[in-house]
Amino acid sequence: MATSEATPAEPVLYEAHKKIYPRDVSGYFTRLRVISLVTLLGIYYITPLLQWDGRQAILFDLPARKFYLFGLTLWPQDFIYLAALLILAGLALFFFTAILGRVWCGYACPQTVWTEAYLWMERKIEGNHNQRKKLDKAPTSAAKIRTKALKHTVWIAFSLWTGFTFVAYFTPIDVLAEELLNLNLGPWETFWILFYSFATYGNAGFMREQVCKYMCPYARFQSAMFDSDTLIVAYHPERGEQRGSRRRGVEPATVGLGDCIDCNVCVQVCPTGIDIRDGLQYECIACSACIDACDNIMDKMSYPRGLIRYTTENSAIGKGQKILRPRIMVYAAILLLLSGSLITHVAQRVALDLDVIRDRNTLYRETPEGLIENVYTLKILNMDSKPHRYSLSAEGIDGLKLVSDQAEIEVEAGSVFEMVVRLQADEYNLEARSVEVNFHLQAQDSNHLNASREARFVGPGSS
Amino acid sequence: MPSLIPDGIPRSQQAISVLWPSFIVAIIASGVFFSAFDPRDLIPFNLDIDISPVAAYSIGFLLFWLLASLSSFGTLYFTISNCRFLNKQRD
Repeated sequence: MATSEATPAEPVLYEAHKKIYPRDVSGYFTRLRVISLVTLLGIYYITPLLQWDGRQAILFDLPARKFYLFGLTLWPQDFIYLAALLILAGLALFFFTAILGRVWCGYACPQTVWTEAYLWMERKIEGNHNQRKKLDKAPTSAAKIRTKALKHTVWIAFSLWTGFTFVAYFTPIDVLAEELLNLNLGPWETFWILFYSFATYGNAGFMREQVCKYMCPYARFQSAMFDSDTLIVAYHPERGEQRGSRRRGVEPATVGLGDCIDCNVCVQVCPTGIDIRDGLQYECIACSACIDACDNIMDKMSYPRGLIRYTTENSAIGKGQKILRPRIMVYAAILLLLSGSLITHVAQRVALDLDVIRDRNTLYRETPEGLIENVYTLKILNMDSKPHRYSLSAEGIDGLKLVSDQAEIEVEAGSVFEMVVRLQADEYNLEARSVEVNFHLQAQDSNHLNASREARFVGPGSS
Repeated sequence: MPSLIPDGIPRSQQAISVLWPSFIVAIIASGVFFSAFDPRDLIPFNLDIDISPVAAYSIGFLLFWLLASLSSFGTLYFTISNCRFLNKQRD
């Protein structure tokens, strides 16, 4: 895909991309990985289908500017929660990276999840790594075109499903499905479905490990979270070297060799095409394919497993593995503090907001009874998922009277209610030209649901 | 002497280094911007534009992406031209 422009005399700084054909692998970690990948894919595709209280359980409703998260409805002013959640996710990534290394990359990153899914389809259609390599090298033939066409059709179909699901997080999936069946999709919905499909197709079908190598910021800075007690996938050179081929059943020491039979299977299974025996490399996404591959070989040779294994730098040199170390404690402390405060805030969040706007046209007027009157427009925002009745009160001036045409204040779930109220006070009780008053709104069915807002009450001024 | 790196970066990777960081920035910018402003409030009163919210958010996102890519492109352009200049000076 990419061509290097470096002249032969110069070292090649950017290698031309070589397509990688990862060899199939089976074993304990591969099973663990498949379980993780299938679970995550399932969550992605099933989530938009979940319903809650008669609507989609998780939905970014852009037109209504609301974010539904099961029982919780978040409004734009709650954006801070979402931001905090993202920061929390980032911190959790730091925490788990410090302990477990790049588990995120190998087991949970969307790039890995979809790449593995596309590889699986490729394997089912084109065969194992050798068959795939052969097919790519083979001259164009009807059979090759058929196989390739089938693969791309399946890939594109899966991509379109992925894109459709993505848009279903923003437009309710039943509406979207109906629009699609009636060939009635909006232009922007169509655009985003195609955009996301294309990105999935490109990233999981073609770019694959290059995304990790050239585009992923995490791959570059994850080493900052690493220390000598972080879990890594590593080859055991003291045991493995001198590597070399030998017949089965030969005791390595008798031929002056280590346990590595140099079969290269660990290289062939690597989805990023590296040789783990060269030591820790930033391309390694810790997918542990080489562990399973090597363990299988060790079993065949009747050598003990674990020539390539999960280990830490410290345990590899015989020092004990320390899990509780200052770095972990600090990450954990920040993580606990932040998630605790987020949970408290969300739990104490009052799904009610009150906005008071003083009538700007007249400063004040006098009623026939001789009272000073100010007019206010109140905006009541019921952010809860059910309707509520509220009682309104105002205070701040002795004998303050609240007058409203509205006997009952009832606000529908998730909507804004606007009303005009008048405050009346005796001029005798006004201490200054402008006095602070407080509106208080209280839900009748819940003590917890209340809101206060201050406003100014303007009079003729103290005489 | 080996040339300074950026000159040798393949076109495809140059494109990625412009489009990809700006894409991430555009997501953040759209999130912050649209949580503060409702696109319906941004259309001037004297203009009669009927635009669906999804269209407004999409156009907003694409504009942010365009702006951020211009910045990324500027960085790439100056890096490459500076490297060319330094390489020439050293020869």
